[in-house]
Amino acid sequence: MVQIVISSKAGEGPAEWLLVELQGEVVSRQNTGLAGNLMGDLHYTKEGVPVLIVGHHILYGKQVKLEKPFETMETNQENPTSYTVSALIKKKLIFKTRPKPIITNVPKKV
Amino acid sequence: MDEYDEMYGIEDDFEQQFADELEVMAEMDLMQCLISLWFLTAPKPKKRRQDVVKKLQFGVENCDDITPPSSPEVYDRPQVTTARHAQKRPPAIGDYITVTDSMGNRVYLNKKEDKEKRHRQVLEESQRLTELMNSGISPELLAEEQKDSGVDGDSGEDEGLSSRLWVDQFSPQHYTDLLSDDFTNRCLLKWLKLWDTVVFGRERKPRSTPADVRSNFTNAQNQNQSQRFKTKSQMTEEILEAELDQYKRPKFKVALLSGPPGLGKTTLAHIIAKHAGYNVVEINASDDRSAELFQKRIDTATQMKSVLGANEKPNCLIIDEIDGAPAAAINILLATLNRKDSREGEESGGNALKKRKKKQSVLLRPIICICNDLYVPALRPLRQQAFLLTFPQTLPSRLAQRLAEITRRHGMKADTGTLMALCEKTDNDIRACINTLQFLHSRGQKHLDQRSVNSISVGLKDQNKGLFSVWQEIFQLPRLKRKRIGGDSFGGFDEAGPKDGTQRLQHILHLVSSNGEHEKLTQGLYDNFLSMKLKDPGMLGVCAGLDWMCFSDLLNECVLHGQNYSLMRYFPFLPAAFHHLYAANSVPRINYPHSNYEAFTKTQHTKNALLAMLNDIPPAVQSRISISCLCLDILSLLLDLISPKLRPVNPQLYSTREKQQLYDLIDTMINYNLTYRQDRTPEGQYTYVLDNVEDVVHFPGLPPRRQLTYQVKQLIARETELERMRRVERAQQKRNSQKTETVKKDQEGKKTEVKKQTNRNHQQRLENIVKQTVVESRPELDFFGRAIVPKEKPAVTTTNGKGGGVVHIGKAVGNSDVWFRFNEGVSNAVRRNVYIRELL
Repeated sequence: MVQIVISSKAGEGPAEWLLVELQGEVVSRQNTGLAGNLMGDLHYTKEGVPVLIVGHHILYGKQVKLEKPFETMETNQENPTSYTVSALIKKKLIFKTRPKPIITNVPKKV
Repeated sequence: MDEYDEMYGIEDDFEQQFADELEVMAEMDLMQCLISLWFLTAPKPKKRRQDVVKKLQFGVENCDDITPPSSPEVYDRPQVTTARHAQKRPPAIGDYITVTDSMGNRVYLNKKEDKEKRHRQVLEESQRLTELMNSGISPELLAEEQKDSGVDGDSGEDEGLSSRLWVDQFSPQHYTDLLSDDFTNRCLLKWLKLWDTVVFGRERKPRSTPADVRSNFTNAQNQNQSQRFKTKSQMTEEILEAELDQYKRPKFKVALLSGPPGLGKTTLAHIIAKHAGYNVVEINASDDRSAELFQKRIDTATQMKSVLGANEKPNCLIIDEIDGAPAAAINILLATLNRKDSREGEESGGNALKKRKKKQSVLLRPIICICNDLYVPALRPLRQQAFLLTFPQTLPSRLAQRLAEITRRHGMKADTGTLMALCEKTDNDIRACINTLQFLHSRGQKHLDQRSVNSISVGLKDQNKGLFSVWQEIFQLPRLKRKRIGGDSFGGFDEAGPKDGTQRLQHILHLVSSNGEHEKLTQGLYDNFLSMKLKDPGMLGVCAGLDWMCFSDLLNECVLHGQNYSLMRYFPFLPAAFHHLYAANSVPRINYPHSNYEAFTKTQHTKNALLAMLNDIPPAVQSRISISCLCLDILSLLLDLISPKLRPVNPQLYSTREKQQLYDLIDTMINYNLTYRQDRTPEGQYTYVLDNVEDVVHFPGLPPRRQLTYQVKQLIARETELERMRRVERAQQKRNSQKTETVKKDQEGKKTEVKKQTNRNHQQRLENIVKQTVVESRPELDFFGRAIVPKEKPAVTTTNGKGGGVVHIGKAVGNSDVWFRFNEGVSNAVRRNVYIRELL
């Protein structure tokens, strides 16, 4: 039977990451590619609702616990069947509402 | 005799031979101890034996017996005295009666003078008991015996010397002397008995077939009354048999007796309370019944008991004339009734302890209240919590019987007919009758006949009769009294004579002025006078009545405007006139007056509707109409104007003329503030209703106005709404455009950072936007009301005014080239400014 060993780093436990899930696609307008670019801002309101601002959209979401947590692993060079856990993902932020445009031309009085 | 000889072996014939003589001698002899030795009684062998013993110890005892005995045991006088009276020979002195036993031996008993009183008492007691048993009351109900004197009569007393009121003299001392209705008496007694468990610690005896007692009683009543009494008795039975509460008190803790004066309510309460073993504490109208004193008196009466003196009975509180007590006092009484145990209250909160200064203990003694008028407003809360007992009128026959006893006792002569007439005259008021008799007696009139009774005007009370009885008297001719049995021939005519013409007038005047509610009375007359049986072909009577009404109105106005209250003495003449005009022989059916109140509410309603309509009419039109002009001249015709013939099709399909017609119609409706409102009828259908204004001009008897169909009304309503909105918007836009001109003039003069209106320059506009977004402090709410998190401060825009506005906007906010493209899934509402003009 094949045995795959998964171990964590000695010392402290693995890091915990947060997954951000969007219903849509992130595009680069200037075609510069996505890598390395600033995507947007993630804020939290006082009530704990996560707010994501991408471009001129603002999205509201919520924090959800994953029923099946993920983990990221790295394979060891010497031993291909042993993996080291680099991060665990237990929670995700899901933004499934329609994004709202941020309108800049709102007159103060009708 | 045999045992005598056997025991002692003595043969002695002396006693046998001379037994009778010895007895007579024994009676006459003074040395009673010697007598005892010689006494022989035939039916008592035991005594004989003892006597024999004495006889044997003759010598010893004789010496002892001569000296007065030191201890009472030796002195067997009671035996001797009783023995003395049963003798074999008729006694020589004094009265005697004979007693024969079953063996045939006859003995003679002495009758002593000083025993006569006891004998009379025993006789009366036995009489009373037989009466009780005959009237069906079980002796178990009567707990403690009172002194058993019947009607306390001073038979031998000289009348001139006695200064006691006959009412007091002949007041009932005992339960059986009461003249009031038996059912009421018994109910009150039963209610009072319910308190036995808590006051005396006595267990309630189980009811033994009250149904039989009830049925016996109802059979004795009138047929009409028995129906009523059956249900009433059932009700009271339920009340009386209800379960006791947690403190073993009955459900109704206070009893309320009500009825006209002089029926014997106070007497009844006193007698019943005494009978059930209570000590009576009375609070009546003569006492100060202010709040604090009243509270104190209630507390002393119900919580304290007299420890000195012979009265160790618990207190029963009787509150007399409670309809005159101030409302505060009645509230205190109610608070006393509803007191809960203070212990529970203290546990509930610490505040209760501080607030409660006195200990509030639960009411543990019965309270009986007496009133004349049950429907006084102050008594309303008490009525719901009290055991109500209404006193029916005393039966004239019983009252006459009692009066006959009284007159007989005082040596006056009066026959039953006279007494019945007296009863009727005073309306079966016991007190008034007795007072009248006493008055006549003291004036020296020993012989009463009907004429004197009828002509007497003293001894009658002022009575305040209720409204319904007054109305009855006004609308009904007084019945001629029946001829009495044994009445003289004058009696019949005399009774008819006074009751017409002036006498009736006086009677009605007196009646009406004693009842002070003139307004209500007049309204009742107005409502009911047309339903009386009139013989009035020319309607002159009705006109006369209405004239009197006008007169009364004018009088009222004068009185109120000028405070000229001396004119109020003319008020009673209206009912007197009505009596002369409309009284009939049959019993009238009187309805309580509603018409005044209904007319008043209708007027208010109409006025409000008109005012509401008038308020929203545009000023151009409002300046030309006032409310009276609107109501009288315009409104009914207006409602006809706004019902033209229109085709119920889409208004787009109208011809020009029809469009013009519709436009005019809507113009009118808006100008006069009329709209059709959709309303749901009770059947569930929808109708369009012209607000409330239709009621104003709706007159009964006229043919109904031609109504438009539902579709047309719907169309008109819709068009009216649209037109209204258009007009409002036009007015606003006019207002707005005027404002923009003035604001621009200001701008050129000063430098202001925050500008209300957008500038012409595109670049400056963008800069403004940026500045505005920076300085905003208040979080804006989005469509759902959530606060938008303050956005990151956007980077300073470039001065590059060229390029699309979109690029500028993109750069102004979120200066990134990473964009998010949403995939359509569920979509919520997208906010966009929508103007009315796009929809219209």
